[in-house]
Amino acid sequence: MKQFYDFKIEKIKNLSSKDKNLRKKNLEVFNKNGFPNKKDEDWKFTDLNKILSQNFKNIVNKDFSLKNKKLELIKEFEHNYISLLNGKLISSNFSYEEKNKISLENYNYNNKIIFDKKNSLNFLNDALATGGFSLEISKNYKLNKPLVIYNHFSNSLKETIVNYKNLIILNENSKLNLINYVNESIQENFMVNTIENIKIKKNSSLSNIFINNSKCNGYFYKYIQSNLEKNSNFENYLFSSGLKFNKIDIVVNFNEEHSKSSIFSALNLNNNEHQEIKTRINHNSPHCQSFQKIKDVLSDESKGVYQGKIFVKNNAQKTDAYQLSRALILDGNAEFDAKPELEIYADDVKCSHGSTSGSIDLNSIHYLKTRGIPEKEAYKMLINGFLIETLEKLAEGKLKNFLIKKLERQINGY
Amino acid sequence: MKTEDLKNTKEYKYGFTTEVENIRSPKGLNEDTIKFISNIKKEPKWMLEWRLKAFNRLKVLKEPDWQKPKYPKINYQDLYYYSAPKSASNKPKSLEEIDPKILETYKKLGIPLNEQKRLNGIAVDAVFDSVSVATTFKDELTKKGIIFCSISEAIQKHPELVKKYLGSVIPLSDHYFATLNSAVFTDGSFVYIPPNTKCPMELSTYFRINASETGQFERTLIIADKGSYVSYLEGCTAPMRDENQLHAANVELVALDDAEIKYSTVQNWYPGDEKGVGGIYNFVTKRGACRGKNSKISWTQVETGSAITWKYPSCILQGDNSVGEFYSIAITNNFQKADTGTKMIHLGKNTKSRIISKGISAGNADNMYRGLVDINKKALNSRNYTQCDSLLMGNKCGAHTIPYIKNNNATSTIEHEATTTKINEDQLYYCNQRGLDQEEAVSLIVNGFCKEVLQQLPMEFAVEAQKLVAISLEGSVG
Repeated sequence: MKQFYDFKIEKIKNLSSKDKNLRKKNLEVFNKNGFPNKKDEDWKFTDLNKILSQNFKNIVNKDFSLKNKKLELIKEFEHNYISLLNGKLISSNFSYEEKNKISLENYNYNNKIIFDKKNSLNFLNDALATGGFSLEISKNYKLNKPLVIYNHFSNSLKETIVNYKNLIILNENSKLNLINYVNESIQENFMVNTIENIKIKKNSSLSNIFINNSKCNGYFYKYIQSNLEKNSNFENYLFSSGLKFNKIDIVVNFNEEHSKSSIFSALNLNNNEHQEIKTRINHNSPHCQSFQKIKDVLSDESKGVYQGKIFVKNNAQKTDAYQLSRALILDGNAEFDAKPELEIYADDVKCSHGSTSGSIDLNSIHYLKTRGIPEKEAYKMLINGFLIETLEKLAEGKLKNFLIKKLERQINGY
Repeated sequence: MKTEDLKNTKEYKYGFTTEVENIRSPKGLNEDTIKFISNIKKEPKWMLEWRLKAFNRLKVLKEPDWQKPKYPKINYQDLYYYSAPKSASNKPKSLEEIDPKILETYKKLGIPLNEQKRLNGIAVDAVFDSVSVATTFKDELTKKGIIFCSISEAIQKHPELVKKYLGSVIPLSDHYFATLNSAVFTDGSFVYIPPNTKCPMELSTYFRINASETGQFERTLIIADKGSYVSYLEGCTAPMRDENQLHAANVELVALDDAEIKYSTVQNWYPGDEKGVGGIYNFVTKRGACRGKNSKISWTQVETGSAITWKYPSCILQGDNSVGEFYSIAITNNFQKADTGTKMIHLGKNTKSRIISKGISAGNADNMYRGLVDINKKALNSRNYTQCDSLLMGNKCGAHTIPYIKNNNATSTIEHEATTTKINEDQLYYCNQRGLDQEEAVSLIVNGFCKEVLQQLPMEFAVEAQKLVAISLEGSVG
């Protein structure tokens, strides 16, 4: 297979020679392994190498000049924001919050974090990452309004890869609602490879929402590593439909007792979109709860993948872990693959999973038709009901209404 | 509790060896060994060529290493690939002529051939080490046109059938252990059921590993022609040994139009001692092809023995409306490890599959269900139901579930569910209250947990299997 990528450390400016060498080593590891393919257990159902080689001629890394892009803010609810352009922090606004409670900086690349040593995309990120942010919430501070991260990408990204890292720290007894928002309709192919490191300290709570407003030809991979202390809560809502390729790889480490984590996903995919959710929930401490509900609706030639793993260490008694993945396959060329995995070493636990995939219930369609609802509408109604269930646990309010509307927009087509 | 009593019951009941003089092939894996095996079995040239082809393929294959239970590297050059009771070179014509020591062994195993012949109505093709020693009930089967003999005999007498089907389900180049088996297999069973025939009795074979340092390489081929039915039982026990023994068998099933094959296994090989020393490595490739329309293959297994069990009895559902089933109980205790499950590959339209797997883990054991359900684009209106439940006893053992689920079309439905729990304390308490001691209570509850699978076993096996479930878990609670 011909080489379809060419990455150079030299393109990154202002590096110390030590840093340069380290990055070179990481790049060497990546070049040796290349992009992951099906031989990699974590990519069992997806040959990323093949997908990229078919869609890119030559992916390169670049050093971007920062230009302020005009922000189109969400009007439906009041919020704070951070704006990123090609992964770099360009502006922020915390006008709803008290001063000195929130610290936001460019990501400090001197802090080395050890990630998954088998993941070649992480090595690529380690080699090429620039930009990104560090966000820290002070002790005992609960944000008044949600925080939206606007992810912008410039048109000049054709055949380019963007790599960056984020760090999010919630100190004791703090709370944050985070919304990752992509509103781009770029037709050119580009790639984004992100590593996010999340630390949730005692009694803190983070909800992390992914939602898109439009379709774009980006290929996204995001690796999220989270570490949870006692009594903390980490919620994820993944509604990232619309991207050409997207894989969200979440690692949750329950390091102390009585923590909770949940992952809800509702995806409506069509054309040849490909979305993959990979989770690894490490129950390292007793009395923790994890809950996962993944729902996919697949039309045309789209493909949905769910690879979830629950790991329960032998001391993590009284663990309660559940994973459910369900898919509606609407077209003969669509595909759903799942690998819900349990690895359990403690006996006093409640762990289970379920996975179903199949077509839409024709009896329900028939019923709706007898009530005078056109077939097309009936389908939409059922899909809507199927997906919107994932929002049940979210508190009522403007944010929830906003998400319901966006989800409806995804179902009805842009 | 009377610890001594417990110790006695816990020890491997079938741990004894018979002193029979062996004919052995030279040690090591090479062309000469293969030629030796082929020669001693008086095989035709095409068979030798087939074996050598497999051996050449084996040279480029790598031993797989993705499995969960790891084991020390096997030195394939340090094994004997053929060993046969000497008396077999001059084959006896009736049961009376059989080496009395061998008959004694079977007696201890609870399968006296004579008695079984009269009482059970089962035709037994007993495999002692690698050669079929005796085959019974042949007359009755011959009348119906059923062929039930050792695979060596089939190669001599029915080469057209063997040539047509051998390696058609598990190809020569499949994977390391299957290819190894193709190169060096010594014996096994062959069954052919002619069209529109229902086999009048349960066919059964007992495998037994006897000579030390002998990897057993069994090869079984069962063909059910159009409209036929057969139920086949396989049961295993092995003598107590300290060194690890490799067992890499291949089982191929072919079901043509409207045919049905039911294959049941009770596996109770030496699992190693309480410290995890010794025991059999059971690396078996079992695969069935539902080639014809409306055909059905059903696998039932009760796996209680072996140090490492590593097998995935699978169904390839090629024919339209074909059905595949897999019922499994895997019990691991002490340092036993199991990595087992199934593959259901749906290719034909309206195909159905059902998987019920029960894993029980105690002591320091590791029990894993690994399975694949793959519904192809063309397998319209197909359906799968999977249920795998695990039971954990204590926090030193592990239970794992790794299902791979692929759905490629819009008209098929897949349902999968799995749970992992421990024995319900309320249930235990209730049983204790009614006067059952801890072990009886556990045995009762576990038997209930396994019932769905035990029900699938033929009568003769079900009783034995139920006892086995209880014996395997003795000493694991308390």
